[in-house]
Parts: sequence; structure tokens; C-alpha cells
Amino acid sequence: MNLLAVAAEPGAVSGSLSSYLIVSAILFLLGLATILTRRNVLYVLMGTELILNAANLNFVAFTRFGGYELDGQMMALVVVMLAAAEAAVALAIVLRIFHDFGSIDMTRTDSLRD
Amino acid sequence: MIDFMFMLFAGITVLGALVMAFHESIVHSAFALVAALFGVAGLYWTLGADFLGGLQLLLYVGGVTVLLLFAVMLTTRDTMRLSLFRYVLMAPVVGIAGFFVLRAYNGVEAAIAATGHVPGDPQPTTQAIGEMFLAPDGYLLPFQTVAVLLLLVLIGAVTVARRGQETTP
Repeated sequence: MNLLAVAAEPGAVSGSLSSYLIVSAILFLLGLATILTRRNVLYVLMGTELILNAANLNFVAFTRFGGYELDGQMMALVVVMLAAAEAAVALAIVLRIFHDFGSIDMTRTDSLRD
Repeated sequence: MIDFMFMLFAGITVLGALVMAFHESIVHSAFALVAALFGVAGLYWTLGADFLGGLQLLLYVGGVTVLLLFAVMLTTRDTMRLSLFRYVLMAPVVGIAGFFVLRAYNGVEAAIAATGHVPGDPQPTTQAIGEMFLAPDGYLLPFQTVAVLLLLVLIGAVTVARRGQETTP
């Protein structure tokens, strides 16, 4: 089934695999757009979280509709834990960048040492 | 019923993500991200992943976004204006990415439809997940690796955030 045809026909969107894939694609593209348009490091982090969630949604949807027991959910669980770890380290780094550069503009952070 | 819940949570997710991506104020964006992540948790529930949905609420909605809000309020001093130029520049990139994403999804969807699996009623997953995490032929190794990684991250985050403050009295 063509996803674009599903998106154009509201009656077909009803808890099927395609509907979840469309939501996931929208999440991914909005995350990508956020990363590409903003210069603030925190926005880039938020866009990354959106993209991770899009991937996770795919894992869970494939598990449910493909009959893969729980393997997709296990993957998604590990991804959620790693995302939490990533956020903690990234925000510590953001605080350091702000301390050193006085700003969190990505285009102005161009060195790793004083 | 599940259709209504799907539409509700999908709507929350997409709206939250839209506001997050295009709002001018970063605090508003952070709160919109909370809504989007909550919507994803709801979508997990409609997919029968009850434990994962709960974890999403606890870790993302409760943890990551609070960290983000702290960082936003500690660092943002000046507002960085959105530049129209960047939007014009990124629109084709996102369009091309969207084309390839939809193409890839079509392929995967066809492969999954070919398995002919019909999803049954969702079952509680918590016990099964716990058993899989502790089974040596299951996910014991990733589980232990994540445990070690979390310890390293705790120490690393504290070290990175603190260094340099010793030099200033």
C-alpha cells in the first residue's frame, strides 16, 4: 500500500502500520528541520530527541504488526535509556560551552580549548 | 476505540512537534516537546507496549525535559532570531529526506505485510520484558552494558559540568 495514498485518504488511517509510519515520518522530518534551521545547541538536542522517538515508534510498530514478540520493544527500551544518558552528558557539555563562550550559538563554538 | 486513541495521541504528537520546531521562544519549544513525547507514550500504549509507555513518561517527560528546561533557563540569555534564509535553505533538504523516508517505509511495510501476521489482543509486557532482560541468551549483556554506561555518564556529566569552576573562587 502506498503511504501517500493512505495519507490522502483519511478513512484508511485507522491504527494500521501505515498510520504509525506516517506519524513517525512526520516526527523525523520535523526533528531534521529543527536541527537544520536552529543555531541554538539546545534546539539541536531537542531535534535529536524527536528523531530518536521517531525511530522508537517504528521499532514498536514493527514489533506489533510484524509479530516479532518483544524484540523491538527491548530495542526501544535500550534506546530510551541511552537517550537519557546522552541528554545528561550533552547538557553538561552545553553548560560548559556557555561558561566558556558566553553563548550557546553553534556557529560561534569553534575551539575545544582556551 | 483504539482508532480514536490513535488519532488523539497522534494529534498531540504532531502538534507538539510542529510547535517545537517552529516556535520562536525556546521555553515554549521545550514545553511543546513535553507534549510531543507524551503523545509518543500514548502511541506506545495504543500499540500494546504498556511498560515502554510508562518508561517513556518517566524518563523522557519526567527526566530529559526537566534537564532540558534547566539548561534552557541557565543558558539562554539572548534570543536567536529565526532566519528565513535558513528555512529556504533547509526546505529542499527536508523534502528530499522525506521522499527517501517514505520510500524506505513503503519497502519495509510491504515486507511486513508479506509476513501475513495479524496482531492479536495486546498482552501485559512487564514480566516478559523483565525475564528477557535477565536471560543469559536474551538481553543480559545489553542490560549490564547500559548499567555500566549509566555509571560512567553520571561521573562524566558531573566532571564535565564542574571543571573550570574550581579555578573561579
